[in-house]
Amino acid sequence: MLLATATVLGFLVDHHVSLTSQAMVYVLAVVIASYMLSWIESVACAVGAVTAFNFFFVPPRWTFEVENQEHLIALFTMLLVALVISHLAAGLRRETETARLNEHRARQLQGLATALSGANSARDILDLGQAALDSAFNGPSVLALCRAGGELDLTAELASHLGDGMRCCMREAAVLGPGTGRWPGLNAWYLPLAESGNALGAACVQPADAADHAGREHAQALCALLAQALWRQRLSTSIQVAQNEAQRQQVQSTFLAAISHDFRTPLAAVVGAASALQTQRDKLSQTEQDRLLGSIVSEASYLSTVTENTLQLVRLANASQELKPDWESMEEIVGAVLARVRQRDPTRRIRSSVPEGLPLIKADPVLIAQLLGNLLDNALKYSSEAIDLVVSVADHTLRVSVKDRGPGIPVEQQGAIFEPYSRNDQSGQRGAGLGLAVCRAIAAAHGGTLTVRRRNAGGSNFTLALPIEAQQPIREAP
Amino acid sequence: MSLRVLVVEDDREIRALIQSSLSVEGFVVQTAVTLREAQALIEHALPDVIVLDLGLPDGDGVELVQQVRRQHTTPILVVSARHQESQKIALLDAGADDYLTKPFSVAELLARIRVALRHRGTALAAAVTVHELEDLRVDLGLHQVQRSGETLHLTPTEFKLLARLVRSAGRVVTHRQLLADVWGPEFTDHTHYLRLYMGQLRAKIERDPAEPRHLLTETGVGYRLAVE
Repeated sequence: MLLATATVLGFLVDHHVSLTSQAMVYVLAVVIASYMLSWIESVACAVGAVTAFNFFFVPPRWTFEVENQEHLIALFTMLLVALVISHLAAGLRRETETARLNEHRARQLQGLATALSGANSARDILDLGQAALDSAFNGPSVLALCRAGGELDLTAELASHLGDGMRCCMREAAVLGPGTGRWPGLNAWYLPLAESGNALGAACVQPADAADHAGREHAQALCALLAQALWRQRLSTSIQVAQNEAQRQQVQSTFLAAISHDFRTPLAAVVGAASALQTQRDKLSQTEQDRLLGSIVSEASYLSTVTENTLQLVRLANASQELKPDWESMEEIVGAVLARVRQRDPTRRIRSSVPEGLPLIKADPVLIAQLLGNLLDNALKYSSEAIDLVVSVADHTLRVSVKDRGPGIPVEQQGAIFEPYSRNDQSGQRGAGLGLAVCRAIAAAHGGTLTVRRRNAGGSNFTLALPIEAQQPIREAP
Repeated sequence: MSLRVLVVEDDREIRALIQSSLSVEGFVVQTAVTLREAQALIEHALPDVIVLDLGLPDGDGVELVQQVRRQHTTPILVVSARHQESQKIALLDAGADDYLTKPFSVAELLARIRVALRHRGTALAAAVTVHELEDLRVDLGLHQVQRSGETLHLTPTEFKLLARLVRSAGRVVTHRQLLADVWGPEFTDHTHYLRLYMGQLRAKIERDPAEPRHLLTETGVGYRLAVE
């Protein structure tokens, strides 16, 4: 195409210019061809140009013969020019290409580093790494992480020789494949993901070319980034685990100290009363025997409450124990709790006020019943006057208040009473230590709150606030 | 002839306690430590009441309940710890008659056994048709509910719900059983129906719906119509 244009141009200016100018037109064509086309194509073009020039313009025209020496030299020069330019152009093209590739790779590394800093799990890191390898190399690339036992977590459908290569590079902690001096006969690079001497995984990158140093270095850079991210992630996980463990042990020791107190006292009372009955029954009057028996029953039932609270607190602290909330009616829960608490309230000090038509709540009824039972038990224990149980609804919140006229809780202690085992001990009464901690944990598990405030005329007001679901179940009548 | 009670319980102290307190009341008490042993005893001679503890060393008891229910209407009382809710409900749904939560008093155990024996055979014979307690009177035959002699007007669903509880008066009826029997087996997850209709029923029947005398809630398990 270029040659034809050059020839036509040569003919157009045939009568006006010398042979040299016509030669320059061909040279121009050859230069353009060399710059645009590959090495072989540009040489072919140069030979073609020389041949055409010789055939069409060099006297004797229309033959391939060459008349004098000068023209012969011109022809050779032209061929040489074509070759040199073609070579230079090809080099230039290669460098441009390399520069563009390097820039692209640098940008990819930067992008990956940014993305990895936001990754939270090994799975995320693996996905990001796989995406980076897939976009950087024609592939198929394989990326795998180490399992806990040090084995690679490979998918079953992976060809076995790839798996072997990855295991081998991890074991040797070195890159394998063409150009690395290790297993140069392979047709893929195998790269270990390692940080601070810890093998974290391995990658396999295809295709691999011994001469492609930049490509291999890029693959290594990507793998180094991934290894750093994995290591960082692993360290932060183990720090978290260690912190949790330390906290758990701290909680556990406080727990045991408090529990042993809460259990020992009623146990001592039971054993004392029972052994008195066993050894001195004949000397004790009927009234005294009845009093001891009554004490055994009430202390044992108190022990049962403490056990229940302890177990519940442990269960609630265990995050894996999921709540199973269902649609529940607060009226029903209050009714069931009162039925139980009334056994300890023979004079009916508790006065309940539950409005009609309460909305349903999403809750675990057993837990809510335990919470209300604890609050009422405390109120009965710490006060000797009337106790009000009031249910109300406002602002998408259902509130249940237990109000007593007991000694009340000083403002500065109002936070502390909800902590496990810090008991407001001044009353000389024992044992609500765990109860309120359980209550607050139950309220929190339901997305609600449990608060306490002093009443103006003396006493405490404990209020449970639970959110009401905006979407109430439809009152169908099937 | 005195009534025979089979106590299946792996704890020696509790087994001895139940045995002595039931013997005092005139029952003949047999005991079993494992489910396997209980099965053998039942095959040999059917007791009148079975008291079955949850969490036995060789299983959760569902199989035993199913085995007994295939042929007999013998009352089965389940004894459980408070946190064994789901197991307890599974046994009740499988056909156990009632449950007791540990720790329980001897008085509670005797009351439950009394109720269970009163219902013995009702699954085959004509069911209880009249329920009376204090101010409440329910006559299933006449389709009539009265409070202090005054006739109450219930919707058909409210009446069906009440009737289901009357037929098992004194015993717990699980949410699942109520939903299946009143609304149909496809509604067993719709517990909110129960909350709403029980609320309506209480508003009509109870003097103080917030502290019911008749329609008792067994929190997390079901409902019970009071008989005493």
